[in-house]
Amino acid sequence: MAKISVWSDNRFWQRSAAWITGFAAVLLIWLTFDTAGQIAMGTDADLQAGVTKRVPGPTVINYKITYEMSTKRGHEVPVIGEKEMFFGRDDYSEEEAGALLHLGKLGSQTKNCMNCHTLLGNGAYYAPDLTKAWLDPAWQDGGTMQAMTGKSTKEEAMAEFLQHPSTYPTHSRMMPDLGITPEEAKGLVAFLKHMSSIDTNGFPRNFGRMQGAVNGK
Amino acid sequence: MFEPFTDVVPSFFGWLNQGPMTLTIFLHSIIVLPMLWIYKQEKARLEQES
Repeated sequence: MAKISVWSDNRFWQRSAAWITGFAAVLLIWLTFDTAGQIAMGTDADLQAGVTKRVPGPTVINYKITYEMSTKRGHEVPVIGEKEMFFGRDDYSEEEAGALLHLGKLGSQTKNCMNCHTLLGNGAYYAPDLTKAWLDPAWQDGGTMQAMTGKSTKEEAMAEFLQHPSTYPTHSRMMPDLGITPEEAKGLVAFLKHMSSIDTNGFPRNFGRMQGAVNGK
Repeated sequence: MFEPFTDVVPSFFGWLNQGPMTLTIFLHSIIVLPMLWIYKQEKARLEQES
């Protein structure tokens, strides 16, 4: 009997390749639909009922967001608390909040924030990561940014800074003036607040524990 | 090697991502084990034909 070599047999490799390709295709299609479900935005009803969604609905801007350590998960998670005023209101409807976020998203694209900043892992590290900007201690009550901009709330301080960034010496690499209008600034702040409420599995890493950190260091 | 499942929304892919070894073991089992099976089948076929 001649010596048999399965390794040099075409059919073995054809069947193996067919199995791996077919299995990978099924897995990737399944993964696509699984992801779509995981990142689907919640609704106002979810927020009112206290249902935790990875991406909360737009009306999350009506609520206070804190960043709290979860010992179970080993990193901080955004926690949606009670109602909080946002530009003097806490009763934005789903449509109003959605329109505001949409304006902010378009604004962030028009002004090319990602050219310097990082949003949800996309962008650059020339300027600070904005994924959790709303939760940054510098903007909180008693933080440096409210005092610097002369505003008494986080959202107004952020909006003021966005309209005149080159007026405020925050960093050796100062943000240029991008001609952001007051309405655009409001949308951008809403966009940032909503983004901070997204559960990103602790990304960016160690954000809540860095004091005075710059560029993720 | 294995860490407790802590994802917000439990899912099969979440389970696969919990530790460095879970995905590796899963993919090796799902790819290599059927290949061993195919190998044996093809070997039997070639032996029969020769």
